[in-house]
Amino acid sequence: MIEILDTPPLNSVQDLGRLGFRCHGMGRSGAMDRVALQAANALLGNDETAAGIEFQLFPAVLRFHAGTVFALTGADCAARLDGHPLPPWWAMEAKAGQELVLSPPQHGLRSYLAVQGGIDVPPVFGSRSTQMRDGFGGLAGRALCAGDRLAAMPAPPCATRDRAGYGALPASFALAAPVHETAGEGEIVLRVIAAAEYEQFDEASRASLWNMPWKVTSQSNRQGYRLAGSALQRTELLEMRSHGIVPGVIQVPPSGQPIIQLADGNSAGGYPKIGVVIEADLWRIAQAAPGNILRFVACTLEEARAAEREIATYLAKLRRLAGYCRLPIMEKAA
Amino acid sequence: MNSGVIVLAEPRVSLCGSAALLLDAEGPLALPTQERIWRLSGEVRQWDGVVDVQPGMNSLLVVLDPLDADPALLSARLLEVWPTIEAGRIASRLLEVGVVYGGEGGQDLPALAAYHRLDIGAVVALHAAPEYVVFAPGVSPGFGYLFGLDQRLFTPRHKVPVMRPVGGRVAIGGGQANLGSPRMEGGPAMQPTGWHAIGRAPALPVPFDLSKREPNLLSLGDRIRFRIDRIER
Repeated sequence: MIEILDTPPLNSVQDLGRLGFRCHGMGRSGAMDRVALQAANALLGNDETAAGIEFQLFPAVLRFHAGTVFALTGADCAARLDGHPLPPWWAMEAKAGQELVLSPPQHGLRSYLAVQGGIDVPPVFGSRSTQMRDGFGGLAGRALCAGDRLAAMPAPPCATRDRAGYGALPASFALAAPVHETAGEGEIVLRVIAAAEYEQFDEASRASLWNMPWKVTSQSNRQGYRLAGSALQRTELLEMRSHGIVPGVIQVPPSGQPIIQLADGNSAGGYPKIGVVIEADLWRIAQAAPGNILRFVACTLEEARAAEREIATYLAKLRRLAGYCRLPIMEKAA
Repeated sequence: MNSGVIVLAEPRVSLCGSAALLLDAEGPLALPTQERIWRLSGEVRQWDGVVDVQPGMNSLLVVLDPLDADPALLSARLLEVWPTIEAGRIASRLLEVGVVYGGEGGQDLPALAAYHRLDIGAVVALHAAPEYVVFAPGVSPGFGYLFGLDQRLFTPRHKVPVMRPVGGRVAIGGGQANLGSPRMEGGPAMQPTGWHAIGRAPALPVPFDLSKREPNLLSLGDRIRFRIDRIER
């Protein structure tokens, strides 16, 4: 059992989201940084669909009311367990009564906490993720607040081999960053596949998509990121019929300033799509803060598939290695 | 302002990122085409490598397994199967919805009327005349996208999304109409939208119940008729 002692708004229970219910107008939802949440679950040997807590605002303070092994991944939020600092992407034991304090990250935006077995909230249409816009899933369909208590799903008790815990190589080090020829230091490069309306944009706009910097504006959240840059224009302003869209789609309203729809984004839309950020790079957007610069680089299906495989390999290896770092409680007692 | 709609001469399948395909049907927006989309949707859902499907307005989004599906192969298969799908009526129900046009929640009505050089009463009459068909699921659970808008009310979406009240919003976007869900308790009062809010439905039945296997009150193919309860100027 975890008790939230203090939290700003907008932190919520998330898993990998809903799949298979788009016919009811349900988008995916789920963790913005899916790689970080999956890594946290892999560190604990949890089911990969287990729910954790997504923190996007800080500071947050929690108390463990029962002993558990927990893992913290995503943006490094200088976590302290009863005052002892934790390295980033770390798993360790918490004893009943201990307090975990998460502070605002210096880099990145979202941190993920997983506990053994995963957070126990009732699944709604196949997922424990919180869909805050429509108010369902997660804990009572809302963000967490002080006083909330979250139980963990049952899991075989275990301890860490080393009391200090064990860690993972963060995804940003383990996964090869996409390359963009003119990107500057600290800019975030995302791989994009051109979408249905790409050819409707004039030549200068198509060039701008790939060559210009795109600044993340303050109007950016789990629903989507609004970007600022050189305006993208179509040769002819035709209205679109509404159609299903996926997280990562780069829509261009007539203003010419693109919007990337994300986890809690609309499941359908009618603005023209110039491209779609590949699934394997969505976690990079999740860690982009307002003011950061995004760069887009064209990508083939083969490259996208290779990027997916790289993530899958990274997570599988992490899961295997983490297995050596835990011990069943019975064994330890003997 | 833009005024045209894209009409394809041939069906088209495009990539929507690395793990989704979008089939856009040929021809103008039409009910028989949509009946085929609904049927195609049921078939494609069974295919290996497909993890989700979502009908749009004369279109179908097919979400694929990012590791195992072959988008090129499935794209070819979609184009091959689409012409073989036949139209056919499905059973449907009718829901009548009372609307307060204009006022707060319908604040785009005066500008929309001015854009069409019609008076507000004429716009309301045109909007309330047809029987609308639920064509596709909406952006969240609820009443979905409606077909049947009188094309004299065709209105391009806002250039930049605007904040509009949530809760039974009656709106027009391009050549389409829609009806928003009632506001959720504790949910946001305003949401960004590119659509023109022309009214609100104050006494809506709850459009979805998540405790049900089929959560939406209305299914694809069901019909809605708007009743003019009042016009606020």
